[in-house]
Amino acid sequence: MDTAVTDRSNRLSVTKLGGKMVADYWANVFTARERGEKVVWYNGSAVNPFFQAAGLVWCHGEAFSARLAAQHLEQPAQLAAQEYGYVGELCSYARTHLGCAVLTQNAGHANGTGIVGLPEQAELASRLPAPDFFVNAYAGCSTGQQWDDISFRVFGKEVPIFNVSLPFLWGNKPDAGYLIGEEWEQASRYVVGQLHELVRFIETMTGRPFDWDALRQNMAYIKQASQLRREAMALCAHAPTPATFWDWITSIAHINFLPASQELVDYFAAVKAEVEQRLAEGVPAVRDERYRVYFDGFMNWNKLGFLARKFAAHDVAVIAGRYTHQAFWQEPHLIDPENPITGMAQHYLLCPTNHGAKTIKHLVLRDCEQYGVDGIVFHSTRTCRAFTNPQHLIAKAAQRELGIASMFFEGDVADASFYKDEILESRLAAMLEGIDVRRARGGVVPV
Amino acid sequence: MSDRLTTALARLTEVAGDPDSYAQSWKQRTGGKVVGAFPMNFPAEVAHAAGALPVIIQENREPDTSGRNLLAEFYCGYTRNIADQAAKGRLDHYDGFFLADHCIQLLGAVDVLRFESPGKPLYFGQLETSLGDAWTPDAVKKKMQSFIDEMEAFTGGLITSEALRRSIALFNENRRLLRTLFEARRTGNARFSSAEMQVLVKSSMVMHKAEHTAALREILDAVGEVERDSRIRLHLSGHFCHAPKPELLAAIEECGAIVVDDDLYTGARYISTDVAADIDPVTAIADWYLKRDANFPCPTRVKHATDWEDRLIRSVDTSGAQGVIVLMVKFCEPHMLYYPQLRKQLTERGIPHLLIETEHEGVPVESVRTRVEALLERIRHTQLVSS
Repeated sequence: MDTAVTDRSNRLSVTKLGGKMVADYWANVFTARERGEKVVWYNGSAVNPFFQAAGLVWCHGEAFSARLAAQHLEQPAQLAAQEYGYVGELCSYARTHLGCAVLTQNAGHANGTGIVGLPEQAELASRLPAPDFFVNAYAGCSTGQQWDDISFRVFGKEVPIFNVSLPFLWGNKPDAGYLIGEEWEQASRYVVGQLHELVRFIETMTGRPFDWDALRQNMAYIKQASQLRREAMALCAHAPTPATFWDWITSIAHINFLPASQELVDYFAAVKAEVEQRLAEGVPAVRDERYRVYFDGFMNWNKLGFLARKFAAHDVAVIAGRYTHQAFWQEPHLIDPENPITGMAQHYLLCPTNHGAKTIKHLVLRDCEQYGVDGIVFHSTRTCRAFTNPQHLIAKAAQRELGIASMFFEGDVADASFYKDEILESRLAAMLEGIDVRRARGGVVPV
Repeated sequence: MSDRLTTALARLTEVAGDPDSYAQSWKQRTGGKVVGAFPMNFPAEVAHAAGALPVIIQENREPDTSGRNLLAEFYCGYTRNIADQAAKGRLDHYDGFFLADHCIQLLGAVDVLRFESPGKPLYFGQLETSLGDAWTPDAVKKKMQSFIDEMEAFTGGLITSEALRRSIALFNENRRLLRTLFEARRTGNARFSSAEMQVLVKSSMVMHKAEHTAALREILDAVGEVERDSRIRLHLSGHFCHAPKPELLAAIEECGAIVVDDDLYTGARYISTDVAADIDPVTAIADWYLKRDANFPCPTRVKHATDWEDRLIRSVDTSGAQGVIVLMVKFCEPHMLYYPQLRKQLTERGIPHLLIETEHEGVPVESVRTRVEALLERIRHTQLVSS
C-alpha cells in the first residue's frame, strides 16, 4: 500500500500551462481523421520535426503509453495485450501500446476480446487513430525496433514501415567517448544517410515534396527551446534548488514531441523565467531542502505526483536525472538550423541508453558533481532493461569515485503493479541516514 | 549402440558439459588463442581462419552469486549467468571476446565483463538488425570486414582469403553433418533423445571444428535406424542464445513424448545455413547472416518478408509433430514480443501448444511434468475424438 505523505513540494507553476499544451496536442492527434490528415506512429527518437514539416500528425508510442499510465488509464490496453498473449514481463511501454493497437484493430468488431470491457475499448480505440505508416528510430534498446515490427504485424503487415537503424555507441576504441572519436563520427554519418532516406520515404507516403524550409524552421525553434531548457536546468545547481527533476519530467512531452513553434520557445522561456524568479526571491522547490539526490532510471509514470511528494516529505530535492538531463535535444550546440540533419542524427544517437557503461558513468557522475548531489536514487525499472543496464556498475563507481551513496527502488514505467512503496520508503530512510552519518563525520564515507 | 558411437558421443557429452575444461586444454595443447564469442550471429569462421579457437560462451551450471548484484534480477538467465561468470573469473581463460548481436540485456552482461576484466580485448561489431533495408547488405559486409580486421589485430596474424575459404568449407561440412542427423530425426529416426541432439550442437559450438567433425563422422558411420514408437510427437521451439537444461528435455520426454524437430538456437537454428563457398568470402559471410534469418526467421531481427510462424507450421507439417512446446527464456524480450504471433497461428491451425518459461536457477520438474502431461492428454483426446 502506498504511504500517504504531506505535500512539501513546490512545483513550478508554469508547468500547469504546459499541461494544457500537452492536452491540446493529444486532442489534435485524436481528431486527425476528422480533418482528413495522415497519421504516423513512431517510436524512439524525436523524428517528429520531419513529420511536422511534412504536414503529418504524429503519435509517439511510448508517449501515449506514458500518458495513459500518468492518467491511470493504462489497464484496459494492458489487459488487451495480456489476452492477446503478451507476457507481463515485456516492456510495459510496448505492452500498453500494442494493447492499444489490438484495441484499435478490434474497434467496431462486435465479438470484442472477452476480457476488456467494450466501453473501455471504444474509448481507447476511438481516441488513437490507426496509423497510415510507421517510422521506427530506436536507439539503445534492442526491443524498440522489434516492437514496431510487431505493431506492423498486428496490423496485418499492411501498413508501410520505415526503420532508422541507430548504432549503439559501445566504445570499442581508445578514442571513443562522449561526442568524440571515430566511432561517434562514423555513426553520425551512417544515421545522416538514413535520415535522407527517411525524407524520401515520407515524400512517398505524403505524395508531395518534402518542405526543407519548414524543417529548418522547426529545428531553429527546437534549438532555442533546448537552450532555454538547459540554462534553466543549470540554475538548479544552486542550493536550495528552485526546480526539481519532477518539473523537468513534467516538461518532457514539450521538448520531446510537441510541435516546434514559437509557443514552445515561449514555454521554456517562461520556465526559465520562473526558475530565475525563484532564485532571486529565495523560493525553494522543496520546503526545507536537506538532501539533494540524482534520479537514474525511467520515469514511473503512474507515480509522478506521488513520488514528487514522497521525496519532498523527506526533505529530499531530486535535482536532476539521466532521463531528463541526458536526453531530448540536450546538446543544442550540435543543431545547425540551416543544415539540421547532422545535429538531428547526433541527437538520435545521444539517447541516454545508447552508450556503453563507461560513457554513462561519465555522464552521471559529471551531473552528480555539477548539481552537488548527496546520493543517487536508482529506479530499478522492472520492464526497462535498457535503462537498468548499467545501474549497478554506476552505483559502485559513484561510491568509489565520489563517495556518493545510492539506493535502488523497484517500479516500472507504465505497469503500476511492480511498484513497491515499502521498499522505497525503507531504503530511502536508510540512505538518508547514511548521508547524515557521513556529514556528521565531516564527509567521511561510513564503511 | 556401437562402441564407436558410444565413445564419440561420450566425448561430445563431456565437452558440452564442461566447455571451460575443453577450451583450457585446447589452449594448453596448441598454444593458440581462445576467443569467447557471444551468441547468436558472430561469424566464428573468422576466428578459426586466424588460427584461434572460437567458443560460443555457454551458460554454466553454477548458481549465480557474485554476479547477482551486477545485473538486475529481471534479466534473462543467460545474461545474468554471464555477469556471474565474469565476476567469478570463470571467463579468464578467454584471450578476448567478440560479439555481433545488439541485445540490450547481452550488452549489459558484456559491459559487466568489461568492468571486471579491463584491458581484455573485446570487440562489438553491431550487425544491422533491420534486414530489409536497401543499405543493409553493404553495412553488414563492412561489419564482417571489421571482424576480420579486429581478429587480425587480436591474433597478430593475417587472415587470407584462402584461409577464410578453408574455414568456411570446414564449418559448412560440420553443419551439413549435423543437419543430416536432424533430418533423420525429422523423417522418423528416433535414435537420439533431444538431450543428445543438444549435445551434438552444443559441443560443435565449443570444439575445434575439425575435431568435432571427425567425431560426427564416427557417429554417422555407426548410427542406425530406430523407428519412432507411439509416443506423442512434439516440436520444441525458441530458447535463444543458450541451451535449455537437459533435465527439462528429459522431463518432457519422460511424460510420454518424443521430440521430432526443433527450431532451438542450440538445435536446428544454429546449423540452418551454410556460407557460400564459391564467392568472395567476406561477401559470403555477410550473405550467410542475411540468409540465416530468411531460412529460420528470428524475432531478434526485423525482416518483414519472412514469418517465423510460417516456418514453424511448415516444420510441424514436415516432421509430423502433433504439438509444439515453446521454450521461452524468461525475460527474453524479442521472444515475448513475437510469441503471440506464434500462438495465433498455432491456434488457427488447431495445433496444441504449451509455453514453458525457463530460468538459470533450476527446473521445476514436477510443475513441468504436470503441464506437459496435460498437453499430451489434450493431444490424445483430440486424436481419439477425430478417429
